Parts: sequence; C-alpha cells; structure tokens
Amino acid sequence: MKFSIFRFNPERDVKPYMQDFRVELEPTDRMLLDVILRIKIQDDSLTIRKSCREGVCGSDAININGRNGLACITPVRELKEPVQLRPLPSFPVIRDLVVDMTQFFKQYHSIKPYLINDEPAPEKERLQSPADRDKLDGLYECILCGCCTSQCPSSWWNPDKFVGPAGLLQAERFIVDSRDRATQQRLDDLNDVYRLFRCRSIMNCTEVCPKGLAPSRAIEKIRLMMVKDSI
Amino acid sequence: MRKAVTGLRAWLVQRVSAIYMLLFIVFLLTHFLLDPPTSYLDWRNWMLSPGVSIAASVFFAALFAHAWVGMRDVIMDYVHPIAIRVMVLALLGLGLTGIAAWVIQILWMGHG
Repeated sequence: MKFSIFRFNPERDVKPYMQDFRVELEPTDRMLLDVILRIKIQDDSLTIRKSCREGVCGSDAININGRNGLACITPVRELKEPVQLRPLPSFPVIRDLVVDMTQFFKQYHSIKPYLINDEPAPEKERLQSPADRDKLDGLYECILCGCCTSQCPSSWWNPDKFVGPAGLLQAERFIVDSRDRATQQRLDDLNDVYRLFRCRSIMNCTEVCPKGLAPSRAIEKIRLMMVKDSI
Repeated sequence: MRKAVTGLRAWLVQRVSAIYMLLFIVFLLTHFLLDPPTSYLDWRNWMLSPGVSIAASVFFAALFAHAWVGMRDVIMDYVHPIAIRVMVLALLGLGLTGIAAWVIQILWMGHG
C-alpha cells in the first residue's frame, strides 16, 4: 500500500516535504495506526503521537486524505491510495505529524471546564437525576483530539479569539450540567462578537468528529439559551 | 451586568431579517403569479399602495441590516489589521447608506 507522509524536522529541514512510503499489509493490519507503526520500523525518524490506540485518548488525530480523523480507528483498507497523511491543519507543526496544541487547550481552559458551585457540599456527593444526567450525553464523550477545531474555518481565521467547536461543546457540557451554578456567567462570557459568534454554522466540526459528536448542535443550543435568557 | 457589544444581537438581526425577507419574497412572487400586473402603471400603483410600500421599505431595511451584519462578519474574519478593517467597514457603511438613500428616493419620493 502506498503512503505519502508530511515530513518536517525543524532542526534539519528548511521546508516541509511529502515522503513516499510503500508497505506490504499484514492480515493483522486493520487500522491506519497499525500501518504507521510499521512505517516507523522502516524509518524510525517518523514522529507521531499515539497512546491508547483505540480512539479514547485522542492523541493520534491527523489529517488523512484531507480529512481529520484518528489514525487508530480509521480502517486502513478503505483509504484511497496513495494515502496522504498530514498534521492537523492550522495547528503549528512541532515535527512531522505532531502539532502544538497549546492554543487549542488555552481556548478549552477559557470556558472554565469544571463545575462551579459555591453551595456547601453535601455529605457524600452532588446528586443528579437520571434525566439531568442524560443531558450530558453527546457532550461528555469529547476526547479533545482537536479534529473539529483544526477543520473549522472560523478557527483558522481567528484561533486566538474564537473558542472553537471543541471548546464550545465543552462549554455546553457545563452550561447544561444541573450541578453547575455559573450558567449565567458562562453565557455572558460567550456573548461577545468573537468567542461564540464567529461560528458560521459551516459544520465541518460535526462532519469530522471521530466520536460522532455534534459541536454545531451544541453551539446552536448555547445560542438559543442566550436568546431565551435575553427575553 | 450586560456587555455593550454582544454577538447575540447581530446574530438575531441576521436571523430575523432573513425570515422577513424570505416571507416578503414569497409574498411578492405569489402576487405576481396570481395577479400579475397588466401594465407598468398597474405595477407602479400596486408598489406605491401604502401596505406594499411599507412592506417593501421594511424589506429593504432588513436587507441592509442583513448585508451589514454579514459583510461585517466576513471583514472581521479576513481583515485583521485594525486600521484597514475600520476603513473597509467605513466604505461598506458608506456604500450601504448610499444605496439606502437611493431606495428611499425611489419608494417614497418617486410619487410625482
């Protein structure tokens, strides 16, 4: 199988380039990550992030034939050859397929991704009804791999000011949590020209999310909550 | 405390204006389909009847608000240096105001 992989080593290369690789697939090679690791045996300078290798940790998010995804859960035999592998678009490249996610996590932290509740803590824990817990479905599953934000044109143009789909999905996760008491502050914080409203409903985020989540729907729900709140 | 500049207001203006414009266009097309004017005078009198000319004025107000928010968004996305951005926004505002003045002239001063 033929691969064309983005290579860039800042210590050596002036410019990034695409390097071709040819790999014989073994019957046990099912996912793209299996094959990338086989390529790494051919050329151990190839750099990639990976950890859980089963779509839970979100570290091996890369751009596969123009579309962001997790290498570990992408069936390799379904890909069109030569398979073009690039780092996540718009994120600064550290080396080869590894990108700098500092800005991404800065935006994530800006939405205060933790429960805010100043009420005295109950003896055991803050309980939640099953119905309230259900509201977190489709939100809590986000693994912060960055596939959505890296594929979002609004994030490309204003990565420093627009929170991005991943951060906004997380914002919705805490806005709807029945145990959180900072809903109003969270809504006010997002209600400026940039943080939420740079979203043009392009919906690349929902299209590429490897976990099948819908950041665009979360953004829409936040907007509607703001509308209700302002009436 | 509410912030002076909110993204929500601009977003609402764009959604509400879009809905109004859609309804007005449907109304216009329905009229021309069911009761097409037979002459220019016929069409002109219909356009200048109070109900229609007010609805048309609201349509153009919605159009300008919609265009302003939409273009402003595009400019904010693509034009980052503040000085150039302000200049482009001013040009856009000037252009839209000019067209608005023209619309007012046609709809409200063309009765003679």
